[in-house]
Amino acid sequence: MFFRMIRRSFLEARRRKVIAIMTVALAASLITTLLDLSVDVGDKMAKELKAYGSNISIVPKSESIPLKIGGIDFNPLKGRDYLREKNLANIKDIFWSNNIVGFTPFLQVPVELKGQDTRLPLIGTYFDKSFPLPSDELYRTGATLTHPYWDVSGAWPDDESANEVLVGKSLARRLDLAVGNELPLVAAERDEESAGPLTVTVTGILSTGETEDDAILAPLSVVQGFAGLEGKVQRVSVSALTIPENNLSRKAQRDPDSLSSSEYDVWYCSAFVSSIAHQLNEALPDASANPVWQVANAEGAIIGKLQVLMLVVTLAAFVSSAIGVSSLINTSVMERAAEIGLLKALGAAKWQILLLFQSEAMLIGLIGGLLGLMVGSGLSQIVGWTVFGSALAFHPIIIPVVLLVSISIAFVGSIVPSRSIARLMPVEVLYGRK
Amino acid sequence: MDQMSDTTPATASAGHFAVQEDHVIKTEGLSKHFNTVKALDQIDISISKGEFVSIMGPSGSGKTTLLNILSCLDVPTAGRYLLDGTNVSDMSEADRAVVRREKIGLVFQQFHLIPYLSALENVMLAQHYHSIADAGEAQAILESVGLGGRASHLPSQLSGGEQQRVCVARALVNEPAIIFADEPTGNLDEENEALIIDLFKRLNKDGRTIALVTHNPEIGAMADRTIRLRHGHLES
Repeated sequence: MFFRMIRRSFLEARRRKVIAIMTVALAASLITTLLDLSVDVGDKMAKELKAYGSNISIVPKSESIPLKIGGIDFNPLKGRDYLREKNLANIKDIFWSNNIVGFTPFLQVPVELKGQDTRLPLIGTYFDKSFPLPSDELYRTGATLTHPYWDVSGAWPDDESANEVLVGKSLARRLDLAVGNELPLVAAERDEESAGPLTVTVTGILSTGETEDDAILAPLSVVQGFAGLEGKVQRVSVSALTIPENNLSRKAQRDPDSLSSSEYDVWYCSAFVSSIAHQLNEALPDASANPVWQVANAEGAIIGKLQVLMLVVTLAAFVSSAIGVSSLINTSVMERAAEIGLLKALGAAKWQILLLFQSEAMLIGLIGGLLGLMVGSGLSQIVGWTVFGSALAFHPIIIPVVLLVSISIAFVGSIVPSRSIARLMPVEVLYGRK
Repeated sequence: MDQMSDTTPATASAGHFAVQEDHVIKTEGLSKHFNTVKALDQIDISISKGEFVSIMGPSGSGKTTLLNILSCLDVPTAGRYLLDGTNVSDMSEADRAVVRREKIGLVFQQFHLIPYLSALENVMLAQHYHSIADAGEAQAILESVGLGGRASHLPSQLSGGEQQRVCVARALVNEPAIIFADEPTGNLDEENEALIIDLFKRLNKDGRTIALVTHNPEIGAMADRTIRLRHGHLES
């Protein structure tokens, strides 16, 4: 009988019910979209934020010994200790290897232009290198991936070429260099005089806004060969997708040993920049991997703020649709006052009448939620393509979450009307007086 | 009538009431005040089992107020009311709801049928809140009021007289100790009025206890006894 009543009464006052369902559906679709986004936004935004550069820096262990006094580095091993290029494959072998967007090694040696006395930095690096991994896969990495803000007018050098270089913008202006010019390079330090001379061709002018603007950049192998430092690099910039830091990661950052074993597991298996750096340290024994905190923190802060913003919008959608549903149910209660009075007169307990109205509200929530899920999934794909240029993955967990939220909207919306139902006296409504 | 056999014996809360076995209803000093207006003042009445009582009086004399209190839809401001041996005058709304579904059948002038439920379902609704909905039993009751063939119709598809008969069937279905009717023919034409009057007569003949509020002297005269009210007082 109860279900018969629900079924029959649900088909009454259809227009209002359709409006209520649409109200819930609107909120549910918005919440679906935001949830879809918030699950993916970390990755998507982190990728977008990679435009700000790499967020982990790897240097030889000796380099990480702090010996700076008054801003001047007194470390005698500075620039004298090296990482082994072949070990870099280990970077793609850590737990969070899929979150490593790319890495770029650097090797800097001083050079002079033949016949001139000016010292210039020559930096060897990967531009867009096919790097062989132990799994025999070729992994494309280099500055084009980790330093997307580097702007080259002309062409990027080929990593396999023997003489193609980029010249920094400031240096090019100073030496009046243009694409196509040839530069004869010789080693600047006496003990490396055996190296060179090397004649290179400028393929592009590089603008970074950083020290590279005053340098010559050549493929890593060219610089290694020139300086007699085969297989060696000085530092590696790693670009990793990370999640915002939280209390746990901050605790780990202060002292990883202070974590309990379960905390350690959670930390280790979360893509915090600190845990990825920790794993890189494990993978590269002679190296020291450290987060570049300005970048990592800025990324974390932006993603964190975005998530808060989405939470606020979700809450606003929840509250406004709950108010909408509430006023619709309230109208319905007014209209059905005589019916409620009759049920009370027939001896229905308060909870039985509330159950009837709540069930109707839940049904509205459920149908609205299902509609909202469908519309919202479509909407999130549109947002994915227009904002990030790619589809958002479908997350099945969103289905129960959105349905639960939709039903909660209807439930919360029916709280105020329920109070009027409870207060309603059969005498007042059946006879229109007391 | 068989519903008499399961009447609740007088409880301790009946206090000093001299409970007579065959009284379904007994009031003592029953009063209802709305602010300063005394809608009912010191009403002492009793209705016996199987009795057919009409409550009459001019508009504003307190007929409906008395019926509301007797049918446990409202509470008195003062005085005591024993229904079927139980003091119900100071019961909570929830307890009165239980009394209503267990002991009372209500017939309204406005019928108050649920518009989206069929005649049969409207009868089953009373069963549902009383115990368990039984379509066979509800159908039998509809047949007893001459509506066997109209069970699947919605109230909007029934005439006023038919709607009132559904209302009577709904009041009867749980075998209540007493049936209260408020102007049951007030909204009906003569033909249907006669049908409903006949129905009440038949029910009374079958042993039902009936209390009926009416303006209509003809209907009033049909009752075993008439309680007359004027300005909230019993007319002697």
